Amino acid sequence: MDPAALPAPTDLVELRFMRTALVELALLGVAGGLLGAWIVLRRLAFFAHATGTATFPGLVVADATGFSATLAALAVALGYAGGVERAGRAGRDPGDVATALLLVVALAGGVVLASDVFESGAAVDRLLFGTALGLGAGDLWIAAGAAAAALAATLLLGRAWTAVGFDGAGGEALGVPVRTADRLLLGLVAVAAVAALPAVGALLVASLFVVPAATARLLTRSVGGLLAAAVAVAVVQGAAGLYVSLWLDAPPGPAVAVVGSLLYVAAALATAARATARPAPLEAA
Amino acid sequence: MTAAVAASGLAVAYGGGRPALERVEFELAAGSSLCVLGPNGGGKTTLFRALTGELAPLRGTVSVAGGRPAYLAQTERTRLDFPVSALDVALMGSLANGRWWLPARRSDRATARAALDRVGLADRAGDRFGELSGGQRQRVLLARAIVQDARVLLLDEPLAGVDPASAERIERLFGELRDEGRALLVSTHDVDSARAFDRVLCVNHDQIAFGAPADVLSREVLERTYGAEIVVLDEPGPDGTVRAVTVQHHHHDH
Amino acid sequence: MDLLEPLQSGIERRALAEVVLLGAFCGAFGCWVTTFRLSYPAESLAHGLLPGLVVAALAGIPLLLGGVAGVAVAALAVAVAGRDARVGSDTATAVAVTGLLGLGSLLALTPDAPARLEELLFGDPLGVTDGDLAAAAALALAGGLALVALHRPLAAVALDAGGARSLGISATAVRFALLALLAAALAVAVQGLGSLLVLAVLIGPAVAVRGHFSTPGRSMAAAAVVAALAGVAGIYASAWLGTAAGASVALALCAAAALGALVRGVAGRRAAASPSP
Repeated sequence: MDPAALPAPTDLVELRFMRTALVELALLGVAGGLLGAWIVLRRLAFFAHATGTATFPGLVVADATGFSATLAALAVALGYAGGVERAGRAGRDPGDVATALLLVVALAGGVVLASDVFESGAAVDRLLFGTALGLGAGDLWIAAGAAAAALAATLLLGRAWTAVGFDGAGGEALGVPVRTADRLLLGLVAVAAVAALPAVGALLVASLFVVPAATARLLTRSVGGLLAAAVAVAVVQGAAGLYVSLWLDAPPGPAVAVVGSLLYVAAALATAARATARPAPLEAA
Repeated sequence: MTAAVAASGLAVAYGGGRPALERVEFELAAGSSLCVLGPNGGGKTTLFRALTGELAPLRGTVSVAGGRPAYLAQTERTRLDFPVSALDVALMGSLANGRWWLPARRSDRATARAALDRVGLADRAGDRFGELSGGQRQRVLLARAIVQDARVLLLDEPLAGVDPASAERIERLFGELRDEGRALLVSTHDVDSARAFDRVLCVNHDQIAFGAPADVLSREVLERTYGAEIVVLDEPGPDGTVRAVTVQHHHHDH
Repeated sequence: MDLLEPLQSGIERRALAEVVLLGAFCGAFGCWVTTFRLSYPAESLAHGLLPGLVVAALAGIPLLLGGVAGVAVAALAVAVAGRDARVGSDTATAVAVTGLLGLGSLLALTPDAPARLEELLFGDPLGVTDGDLAAAAALALAGGLALVALHRPLAAVALDAGGARSLGISATAVRFALLALLAAALAVAVQGLGSLLVLAVLIGPAVAVRGHFSTPGRSMAAAAVVAALAGVAGIYASAWLGTAAGASVALALCAAAALGALVRGVAGRRAAASPSP
């Protein structure tokens, strides 16, 4: 296909593989929008990015050995989430230095395994940036499961996550099971990041789990509004990103990331005027 | 009458380290108030975290009557950027009914509105928490404690950075809550305000003193509590207790 | 196996020179990067400069220019994003970095683009040109002089920013100089280790030597030596095992960090176990 010529938007539904990818990204948009809202509220953006990247060597090994990539990535992601949760419980930051080095090890290790041990060099791009072509029914089921889990967790745990995020010690005193709520959030982010890997790749999971919710955060003033807007932005961004990826014949991960960031910039510019116009809070009692 | 709050031989530590607070021994009756005095890092917040159950005692016992105590952190420890309204925050108190997985009921909303009304913020129910003034935020947190209907309230520096008008209103609310039979534990820097409480507890890693303000607020006790961080004024207060000013750096770790 | 074998090829001689030059400066400089808690900003800049590299590769101009332009754009984006109090600076930074990383890979992955993305992401020390070597040498020389000149202000601000102000040292100016050095280091070092792995040479050696030396100067000297040695070890390992050179160097640097931390942990436990006098 000539990359300069714009494909017809109807190709997104008429081409069979595009239809599959569209459904996949819509399901991931529900999961990413809902969990992203909590990620943005709880300041877990870096955790979401790191979880995705940390799975890279697991994906390489699974890809080369024929082992289930989902299970391998899930093991790595949950292991990473467990480590972060344990460090947080001991009152320690997992440490920006340690995290940065861990990610370098994951990426460098994955490259060495891919190009030299398994000689699956061509797969590296797909594992890092996702694909719209190879998605199957299994991927759709996993994405649907992630979306359902995110929705159920938001309905059941939303009040607890809000109370704990707003005021951790106060939430604990209200009898909210803070530790369980935190553990479930980190675990769900890890599971959903793994579900997103086939479509957007290990390097850019933040494009689904951080960017749409950040855009929505600029546009809304309540937790409920944030959740709804984040899902809407994520689905729109997924469809638009898929269209760009079809147009440029490039993987969907980078396209979704670029479209999503542009939406964020547009929202930031549109609301910047409003933010400066808003009066300062009153200091009187 | 049994105590609303009691500690006996209490020692608390963070993560298996040395105790941050030890030899704490006091009792507080329902319907009375306790002022917790001490320097930064002296163990005031640690004591509260032991009373909420967040930190298990290393030695000794704590007991809190009537279920979970309400805990009001310093408002700068809450997330002011969180997209929650005053009503949302007051409504969080209803999570204490133990069914945190269910949506809030209509009756919970009515209770939360009534609590906001009681702290004088009925007209600000829809305002963002972070856009309220420091005193208003403290009152919203008090409304959350009222919704929680806790028998014991723990308040960490509730009057720090609050304008005088709000402070007066908050102190009046303290009186009302105490008269309803609740026990209030309030940590503060303000030695002068300690006189208005029924009991005073001085801590600086160890318990220094506990008792009625007139007995506890002596030059000797205050100097042991605050070390070099205090200037004791020569002129005594109206009821004969010592007047003092603490000179502290405001950094908030534990 | 012949120890000198890698030295007989011009390609590997250049690669060894590159990692030694980069390691000497970035290793020492990394001590300040970790002291000032700049590893997250450094990672953001390193990932965010990818579009600059890709555009340079597509246009056929020297990658160094692309790296410089890319790091400037990334710094601007991160600085603007970091000021957004509404979503929080870490979230906004994550958005900026995701967008730039996505843009760079999107440009590089279109079918017309030369297949150099992996080299730009993961580095290729074996592909360094004489120009790259000259840039690394210039960085080592000028950066080294800057570190010597800035040593006392940096140490003063790291110890006590308020106290430094009373000595007439502006913490803002010192931080700005530090960020400028960071940008220069990234723009040059990214040629050898790539956008995703360059952080290893800035942070790994600093972690390896942390807590082992009594003064910042000694730590920096040791970190420079550790970085150069780990770089050489990585190139040798890649020559012997046939692994990707950039990734091998990055793994060697991380192994040095892990070894340093391990030794520190064992020494710390022994000190804790022995009865204090």
